[in-house]
Amino acid sequence: MILLEVNGLKKAFGSRKAVNGASFTVRRGEVFGLLGPNGAGKSTTISLICGVLKANAGSVVVDGFSVGTDGANAKKRIGIVPQEPALYPTLSARANLRFWGTINDVPADELEEAVNYVLQVVGLVDRADEKIAKFSGGMKRRLNIAAGLIHSPKLLIMDEPTVGIDPQSRNHILETVKNLKDKDITVIYTSHYVEEVEYLCDRVAVMDNGEIIAEGTLPELLEQGSQFQELTISVDTIPDEIENAIQALPHAEEVIVQNEQLKLVTSNAEKLLPSAFAAIIGLGGTVSEIKIHKPNLESLFLKLTGKALRD
Amino acid sequence: MRKTWAIVMVGVRQVLADPAYLMFLVGLPVMMTWMMSFLPVEVYEMAILGVLVMFVGLNVITSAGGYILGEKQTGTWQRMLASTTTYWHIMAGYFIRLFVMATAQSLILLLSGKYLFGAPWDHGFLATIVVLMVYIFAMTGLALFLAGFLKSQEQVQAVAMGVVMVGTMLGGIFFQIDDPSFVIKLIATVSPQSWAANALRDVLTLGVGVSSLLTPMLWMTAIGTILLIGGVMKLQTEG
Ligand SMILES: Nc1ncnc2c1ncn2[C@@H]1O[C@H](COP(=O)(O)OP(=O)(O)O)[C@@H](O)[C@H]1O
Ligand SMILES: [Mg+2]
Repeated sequence: MILLEVNGLKKAFGSRKAVNGASFTVRRGEVFGLLGPNGAGKSTTISLICGVLKANAGSVVVDGFSVGTDGANAKKRIGIVPQEPALYPTLSARANLRFWGTINDVPADELEEAVNYVLQVVGLVDRADEKIAKFSGGMKRRLNIAAGLIHSPKLLIMDEPTVGIDPQSRNHILETVKNLKDKDITVIYTSHYVEEVEYLCDRVAVMDNGEIIAEGTLPELLEQGSQFQELTISVDTIPDEIENAIQALPHAEEVIVQNEQLKLVTSNAEKLLPSAFAAIIGLGGTVSEIKIHKPNLESLFLKLTGKALRD
Repeated sequence: MRKTWAIVMVGVRQVLADPAYLMFLVGLPVMMTWMMSFLPVEVYEMAILGVLVMFVGLNVITSAGGYILGEKQTGTWQRMLASTTTYWHIMAGYFIRLFVMATAQSLILLLSGKYLFGAPWDHGFLATIVVLMVYIFAMTGLALFLAGFLKSQEQVQAVAMGVVMVGTMLGGIFFQIDDPSFVIKLIATVSPQSWAANALRDVLTLGVGVSSLLTPMLWMTAIGTILLIGGVMKLQTEG
């Protein structure tokens, strides 16, 4: 059963096409990953889905309600966790949640209960009455999630909820998302971290340059990328011409040079590795480490776009 | 209505948590009023009302721009728009918040002018309140209208200074302009600051009644209303 249908969505800022014909569907009860590098158009897509920005073209339908023509009904079903915590720093956690509950139409007589419930979901019950200006980055991000859940939305859209926080808070957030499944909440999880998406998501859309370049279940996508392997070769002082030299070798699908490392996508590691090795040595490089990765979303992305997800 | 009220209360709590802002809101103008009280009495009372209308204007325009830009920066603005809250709820919340703050500020300045610094006012307090409400209404409308067009805090500061200083100084409040040109006369006629300061003086010292100020008050109210609606409509075209 489909909960969200995005079709041919377009949004330009001046001449910059931030979202350029994106289409995907999210099914009820799943954790749906929206994976893409910085600038891919993920946040813009989210703003279009929840009606904060108006699309230039395309449609968004949430639970049967079109965001364009029946915004109020569509918006009621969506909870949003913005990329940067959107909260009032001089207020307490509880006061923030009461405010967002009221703004999201939680009835007055259910507000306290709703606030206590979401505080418990994100594990902030004992810090509820402190001003959030004193909170750590991780705690603010958890409260940011609580604010998105306050009106019991059917669809929670999370925009890179773990960027720039400590590992402990990150794990806490990942476990919170896992647990949302049992609460019958569908989640869109936006990230540029492959590991998180692989760990959490049932289905994934891969986004680049405002377009969805692949969509499917995790096994389907890994299957699509399975004829490819990713190699990482660490080289001391990378020779300038190395990228072209390796690109010219048989079985080299993609080559990128990134912080003293060569990342290669290949259809045949056994054949490419010796010739790549020879090419590096021939150009005066010294290899310090070689890794062969099993197929993952990173290698699929590299293959599809010729770019790394992260820089 | 519940939403609008929540927006007002969050705003008021933020103001109370910000000592620097309270200083700008109340401390600075009270000090200016005190300084004006050393002027000869003929110019003093007009100067004190000039300080009042000037600071209320500055406060309302910088606050309106500052709140909206600030909320856009932290993302609470977008978060409100992602809910079923409309621009009308949000702007009504801002309007009430600005109106309440400007009223509190004006009363503190009027009362301190009279009781601390000896301004010679002894009648027309009711009429004073009415004139002030109309002035604050018009300025709040103007402020929220301008806020929709401003893109940075620097622009907010510049526009607030521009609008209020031109309106106050060239409006002939602090000093009479001899032999004014057409432009200066025009500014003195349309400037809400000039109108409010003169109306307040007429009310407070000459005891002029509200009824003789009815036409300009209706004008000010109409302009405030039009700007307010225009401001919401401008915001609705965003995105
Ligand atoms: N308000 C805006 N004005 C102009 N350009 C924007 C705006 N928002 C995003 N962009 C541009 O659109 C592209 C996509 O941005 P974004 O949706 O934030 O990507 P992501 O969230 O995937 O990192 C980027 O090139 C970004 O610079
Ligand atoms: Mg983003």
